[in-house]
Amino acid sequence: MVADPIARLVRELARLPGIGEKTAQRLAFHVLEAGPEQARELAEAVVAVVRDVRCCSSCQTLTERDPCPICTDPGRDPKIICVVEGVPDLLAVERTREFRGRYHVLHGALSPLDGVGPSDLKIKELLLRLERSPTEEVLVATNPNVEGEATALYLQRLLKPLGIRVTRIAQGVPMGGDLEYADQATLARAVAGRREL
Amino acid sequence: MRIGSLQLQDFRNLAEVSMEPSPRLTVLLGANGQGKTNLLEAVYLLTTLRPLRATRLAELVRFGQPRAAVGATVRRGTIERRLSVEVVPGQRTAQLDGKPIDRLDDYLDGLAAVCFSPDDLQLVKGGPDGRRRFLDRAAFNRWPAVLNESREYVRALRERNAALRAGGGEVERSFRGPLIRAGARLLRRRRDIVGELGPRLTAAFTEISGPGAPSPRLLYRPSGGLSLAGAEEELAGRLAELLEARLHRDLDRGYSTAGPHMDDLLLGIGERAARTYGSQGQQRAFALALRIAEVENLRAVQQEAPLLLLDDVSSELDPEKNGYLLDYVGALPAQAFLTSTDRRLIEPLAGPETRFFGVAGGVISTLDS
Ligand SMILES: Nc1ncnc2c1ncn2[C@@H]1O[C@H](COP(=O)(O)OP(=O)(O)OP(=O)(O)O)[C@@H](O)[C@H]1O
Ligand SMILES: [Mg+2]
Ligand SMILES: [Zn+2]
Repeated sequence: MVADPIARLVRELARLPGIGEKTAQRLAFHVLEAGPEQARELAEAVVAVVRDVRCCSSCQTLTERDPCPICTDPGRDPKIICVVEGVPDLLAVERTREFRGRYHVLHGALSPLDGVGPSDLKIKELLLRLERSPTEEVLVATNPNVEGEATALYLQRLLKPLGIRVTRIAQGVPMGGDLEYADQATLARAVAGRREL
Repeated sequence: MRIGSLQLQDFRNLAEVSMEPSPRLTVLLGANGQGKTNLLEAVYLLTTLRPLRATRLAELVRFGQPRAAVGATVRRGTIERRLSVEVVPGQRTAQLDGKPIDRLDDYLDGLAAVCFSPDDLQLVKGGPDGRRRFLDRAAFNRWPAVLNESREYVRALRERNAALRAGGGEVERSFRGPLIRAGARLLRRRRDIVGELGPRLTAAFTEISGPGAPSPRLLYRPSGGLSLAGAEEELAGRLAELLEARLHRDLDRGYSTAGPHMDDLLLGIGERAARTYGSQGQQRAFALALRIAEVENLRAVQQEAPLLLLDDVSSELDPEKNGYLLDYVGALPAQAFLTSTDRRLIEPLAGPETRFFGVAGGVISTLDS
């Protein structure tokens, strides 16, 4: 029999994605052996991340400061918005240095199979943003896979009637791929060579 | 391509195998249920990244074990590389020279395998799904990109079907985009491979059946009466119209009632369907000729024969066709793996480079040639 506090920690760890019962147990015993100092650091880091990190009220990226540094950077063009599925994709586009507008993070892509519909994504927030501030172009940089492509088409049909130019990153990124893992030069070309949807 | 050495671990009933196959013919001998087909299955997975039978990947892992692995050194031209595939339930990962691969094309470049099996008769006698699988694999051997393309189609189809069941609307319409794009690509691939295989089928069938035999026909029949003419964009346009026209029916049924996943490949002998009017002998000749057509096509376009896997073919074919196939394989400058329960059937085929192995209870051992 394992002591109750250990069982409790194991149960909590095992709820994290990619961590099974065995790994959770190993981690729990590791925490025990590392001593109280490390345990406090870990616990505080976990509490702090949910306390201090939130969604930017404008672009929905994860940030400590709201609005986030990109949304408040006067050097960036507010009239063009690049829509991405997740924060890692935002970082991938940033690394290319090809894009000087602002972002909008959807936090996912449409997937009826996984029960993800439009209301599960930050689409309402995007529409609100477009209503409030004049925008000329929305560059849709969702992943070049089935779900990303469908999400791009969905946004296109939603935004076109508003008189906004909707573009899509070029097909340089291999189909079935993931923006996050696309190599930098390919992604830079894809952003530079965007086309009308 | 040539497999130089081959290792297996916990692949079905084969706990631990390390063998040096022949550069030409490797014969696996053993009683029923010993693991002969399992070895072919491992080689097929390694060279195509697809399971040989329509199985779930998890079945490939030996009972009670966490993972299965297949690895080999493979020579293409003057370059030798190490390929390996690992299967854990629900997932397979491929490595090239010990590193995970980013692009399947790098791994699959120059690899191709064709398997002859007693089940091939089902290509003629069975339902359309077996024939679609045959076409897609033939297209994939020819153009490795087909692996990703057909996965995309299946993914888009499942998403759209889920959207149909959820009531359709804008989400369903959005998934039609990728479905149509991937569907048109798949249609073009199938049309092109049927075009290439047709003449080679005729040649092989005539050779097997002798002169004066009626000629075999391959006809791709798209669902919903779709026309296959024109460029890929035209196919996409027509597929879009078809899906639009069938939307109400699709919503009612909760799935997509037309598209490449519902198509069939008609096999004819003379003017009639091989399935209903062909004799037993003609049907067997047809199935055999389809496989040979694929091999001959790959030989012609890749300047090299694919890896041949022959699973227990002698059990299904009459002596004449069996003799024809063995002669064909013997004359081909190809590497081949052949399984049999009866050494005497294979003995006449043995050349100086033939290697015999015994398979018993999941253990493989060298036999005297
Ligand atoms: N995942 C698995 N783990 C362990 N054994 C397995 C697994 N899957 C299949 N087997 C066993 O493998 C054996 C079948 O092997 P295989 O199909 O290769 O036989 P074979 O030598 O080709 O026989 P035949 O001559 O009848 O075709 C069966 O005994 C089956 O129980
Ligand atoms: Mg067998
Ligand atoms: Zn922001």
